Amino acid sequence: MGAGFLVGVIGVLILSHATYSTIQYRALLKITEEEFSGPPIDVVVELIVSFVLCLWAAMAAPGNFKSIHPQSEENRVVALPANLDFMIFNHRGKIFPLETELKLK
Amino acid sequence: MAVHDDVNGSTEKSNSGMDELLTFNAENMQNNMKVIYYSRTFLSIISGAIAGILGFTGLMGFIFYFLVMAITSVALAAKASFSIHSYFNSWNCIIFDGFLGGLMSFVLFWTFAYDIVHIF
Repeated sequence: MGAGFLVGVIGVLILSHATYSTIQYRALLKITEEEFSGPPIDVVVELIVSFVLCLWAAMAAPGNFKSIHPQSEENRVVALPANLDFMIFNHRGKIFPLETELKLK
Repeated sequence: MAVHDDVNGSTEKSNSGMDELLTFNAENMQNNMKVIYYSRTFLSIISGAIAGILGFTGLMGFIFYFLVMAITSVALAAKASFSIHSYFNSWNCIIFDGFLGGLMSFVLFWTFAYDIVHIF
């Protein structure tokens, strides 16, 4: 979430700066009485940069895709310890040292 | 391969005899669709603002929207590392979902940015 979101914020800031530059350019055109044919080149560069940043943010910020296959590694559920009726404490495992960082995968 | 859409639980067991029916995890499917909607909505808002600043009018803006959505589709497929079928049940999810809703946001922000920059 963090890095992608930050990139998106930077992209939106560059976009708002491009907006401001274009407004000033329009005001300049109004003084010199010329027609608007297109935004100046630095605004176009800013727009392209902000679009690339926002594309990156849109890919990074919402999180990753998760596999929908029930056989895949991340979907495998090992829920035997949660079944309280079948917990057995009096077994040979108690002579081994306790592993607190036991992974359930 | 038959696609079996009837999902009752969040995780389904796949028996060895049920290889014909392709079951999938509905919760992760929902998550993937949410990610797609998020990306598309954000990018349609951004592309609307860009189209407004560039001063597109009429058909040109809609062509720009189609272009941006095509880029988004390619980027989403690249994010899924082009193995679509392990994350979605069809290509339509990645290409068409969120397209019309994004179009509404696009037109809103297009007119908004155009008004701010070029009219006022």
